[in-house]
Amino acid sequence: MKPAPFAYERAASADEAVAMLDRYQGDARLLAGGQSLVPLLNMRLMQPEAVIDVNRIPDLDGVREDNGHVRIGALARYSAIEWSPIVGARLPLLSEIVRYIGDRQVRTRGTIGGSLAHADPTGEMALAALALDATIVVQSPTGTREIAARDFFLGPYFTVLEPADMVVEVRFPHHTMVTAFAEHARRHGDFCVISVAALGEPDGDAGWKTVRLAVGGASHRPFVADEASAALSNTALEPDAVEAAGAACVEAAEPSDDIRASADYRAHLLPIYVRRVLDQMKARRSQGAT
Amino acid sequence: MTQTLIDVRLTVNGEPVERAVEPRRSLVDFLRHDLGLTGTHVGCEQGVCGMCTVLLDGEPIKSCIMLAVQADGAEITTIEALNGEELHPAQRAFKEAHGLQCGYCTPAFILTSVALRERGLDIPREELKEELAGVLCRCTGYQNILTAVETYLAADD
Repeated sequence: MKPAPFAYERAASADEAVAMLDRYQGDARLLAGGQSLVPLLNMRLMQPEAVIDVNRIPDLDGVREDNGHVRIGALARYSAIEWSPIVGARLPLLSEIVRYIGDRQVRTRGTIGGSLAHADPTGEMALAALALDATIVVQSPTGTREIAARDFFLGPYFTVLEPADMVVEVRFPHHTMVTAFAEHARRHGDFCVISVAALGEPDGDAGWKTVRLAVGGASHRPFVADEASAALSNTALEPDAVEAAGAACVEAAEPSDDIRASADYRAHLLPIYVRRVLDQMKARRSQGAT
Repeated sequence: MTQTLIDVRLTVNGEPVERAVEPRRSLVDFLRHDLGLTGTHVGCEQGVCGMCTVLLDGEPIKSCIMLAVQADGAEITTIEALNGEELHPAQRAFKEAHGLQCGYCTPAFILTSVALRERGLDIPREELKEELAGVLCRCTGYQNILTAVETYLAADD
C-alpha cells in the first residue's frame, strides 16, 4: 500500500525538530531510519499530519567514549554500531545483539534513537539498553533530560516520551561483566518470540557476585528480571539457582498471544532460554571472554 | 487531496536527476514510475522481502521504506548501472552458477553483492548467508545464489 498524504518537514537541528513537534501538537512523527515508521505509513496504520525528517541533523550519529561511558548519538545506524571498534571493545553485548536486528539493509538505515522511541516489545535494542543499564538523553522544547532505560518503556510502542520529545543520545556505562544473549525467532531475521540477555560479574573460582537478566518478547515491554537476577547473584549458577531464575522470569512475565507465538509457548520457552543464556555466559567466562 | 511537491536533486547511476515529488512517494516508486528504471522490483512494500534493494551512497537499503524526498543529495545505484556491452562480473557469476530461476530477486542479490565486494571483506559462506539474508528468493533454495556470490567476491576482475 501507499501512505496517506502527509506534510514533510526537514529539521536542521534537534532544537528545530522539537519545535516542529510542538507545533504539530502530537500529530507529527519523527523520521529517523524509517525502518519501522515507513512500513507503518505504507500500511496506513499511522497517518500523521506531518513527518519530520531528522536525518540531516549534524553530529547526532557519533559513537564516542567519554568519562566511563560510551555515548551513542540517536542517529547512529545499526551497521555503524555493529562495526564500531569502541562498541566492540567496551560493549560486546551490544555488538552481539545488534546483529540480530533485521538484516543488512535494515541495519544500513535503522537508528538506535528511532528503535528506542519506537519501543517494539520484541526489539533487541531496547533489550540491550535495559541490560546494559543505559541512560537515554531526551530533548524537549524546554531543555534536555536523562531517563534511565528501566524507566523509559511503558508498554508496546509506548514510552515516557512526550509528544514534543526527541531522543538525542544513549549513554552506556563501561562494565567488565561477562555477557551472553540468546533469542528465539520463527524465521531468521524475524522479530523475536523471546529474547534473554545476561550479564554477570565473576566472583572467586566459579561464583558470580551479581547477575542481571533482561527479557524481551515476554511482556508488553522488555524488562530487567530483578527477582531472577537476585536468585542468581552470589551463586555458582547451580541447576537449582538457574531453575529458580527461570521460574522467577516466568512469574514476572506477562506474555501475550500474537501472530508469532502463543502466550503459553512464550512461557514455555522463557526458562529454556534463561538456561541457555546462562550456560553461554559460563562458557564465555571459562574461555576468558568478558 | 493535492499535495505540496518537494524538489529533489540526486544522482542516479551517475546521472544528475531533478524532480518534484510528493512527500509520500517511496524511493522505489520514484525510480520505477518517475524515472522508468523498472529493474528495481517491488514486493511487500513493508521492508521484509528486499526485492527493492538499491544502493544509497554505496550501501544496500530497501527503497520501499525510504521516501524519495529523503534521497535528496544522495547517490543512488540501481541494477541499470551495471548495463554494458558485456555482462558485469556479478551478472556473469550468477549466470555461470545458475544463481537465478524466475529472476525477480536477482537485481537485489546482485546489488547487495556489489556492496559487499566494495567492503572488500573475505567472507566465509556462513557469514555470507547473514549478509544476504535481507533478500528473499522463492525459487532457488539459495545454494546457487551463494555459490554465485562467492565466485563473484573471489574473482580477480
